[in-house]
Amino acid sequence: MEKKNPLYNTHVKLLAFDLLSLSQHSPDSFSRRSIPLSRAETLGTVTLRDHKPNTFLRFAIDDGTGCVPCILWLNHLNSPYLARRRSPQDVRLIADLAARAAAVVKVGVVARVRGRISRYRGAVQVTVSDVMVERDPNAEVLHWIECVNLARNCYNLLPHPSSSSFLLHK
Amino acid sequence: MALFEIKSGALVTLQELHPSSPFFKQGASLRITGKLHAYSLESGIATIIDGDDTLKVSTEHLRDLSFRVGSVYQFIGELCIEPENEVKALLILLYLARTLGYMRVLQARVGRNVDGIDLNLYHQSLLLLRQFQANHLNNPAT
Repeated sequence: MEKKNPLYNTHVKLLAFDLLSLSQHSPDSFSRRSIPLSRAETLGTVTLRDHKPNTFLRFAIDDGTGCVPCILWLNHLNSPYLARRRSPQDVRLIADLAARAAAVVKVGVVARVRGRISRYRGAVQVTVSDVMVERDPNAEVLHWIECVNLARNCYNLLPHPSSSSFLLHK
Repeated sequence: MALFEIKSGALVTLQELHPSSPFFKQGASLRITGKLHAYSLESGIATIIDGDDTLKVSTEHLRDLSFRVGSVYQFIGELCIEPENEVKALLILLYLARTLGYMRVLQARVGRNVDGIDLNLYHQSLLLLRQFQANHLNNPAT
């Protein structure tokens, strides 16, 4: 019986040290303990911010176990790639969402970031699709517990891709 | 890339910041949490406490953060420890430094108010996190 990889295209909650140690097999292919992953969720304190208006916002999320580099693209309105594939209304909507996300990312806030796992200059980074600022002072602690729990009781228990019960469906 | 060369602030409690601790190193990047005991507007030095332990935090690089004695704060920064041999040559300064408790100062680059944090849960979760991280790093394939 075929079984899909439940983690592919899922925003997998990982601690920074775990996310930063993913294996890479090709430019867009990452895996954790041989399980392919494409998206991740991280939560921590914003410790760095580098903003180039209408181009990108780079920032770092420090969760106490590592610093996750994140990039939020802000170049949608002048992207020929998007212009060919999306309607002008869609592009405007995407650009507005990104600009709103960029506005809330400030040094010192705790942010929950979701996005695609990518690589820049040899290091894992997150290409951001969604940012949410956490106001609950216990949010980071709860994230640690959730990450540990998910790793122990879910991610680590998935069958190895080479086993017969596991077939990857992208 | 230069932007991300800054280290992650290792999670430590004030109780762990003693000279024999592996975290007690010049320039170590740390994240500490404690209640604000005192704050000097002139020097920008905050004194935070956790139980019987205290730490001075230099807040000169922090903006948009107001300080209220009794509130709980979390800081990420680098530990600055005064070298003993230099201090010996500056006996008066040594006396002043010790009097004021400036022998170890966290140079904060990030700070935030965390009023409402469950410190008991924080400390317990920290132990769990360290155990998980140690197991994972020692045995990444299992």
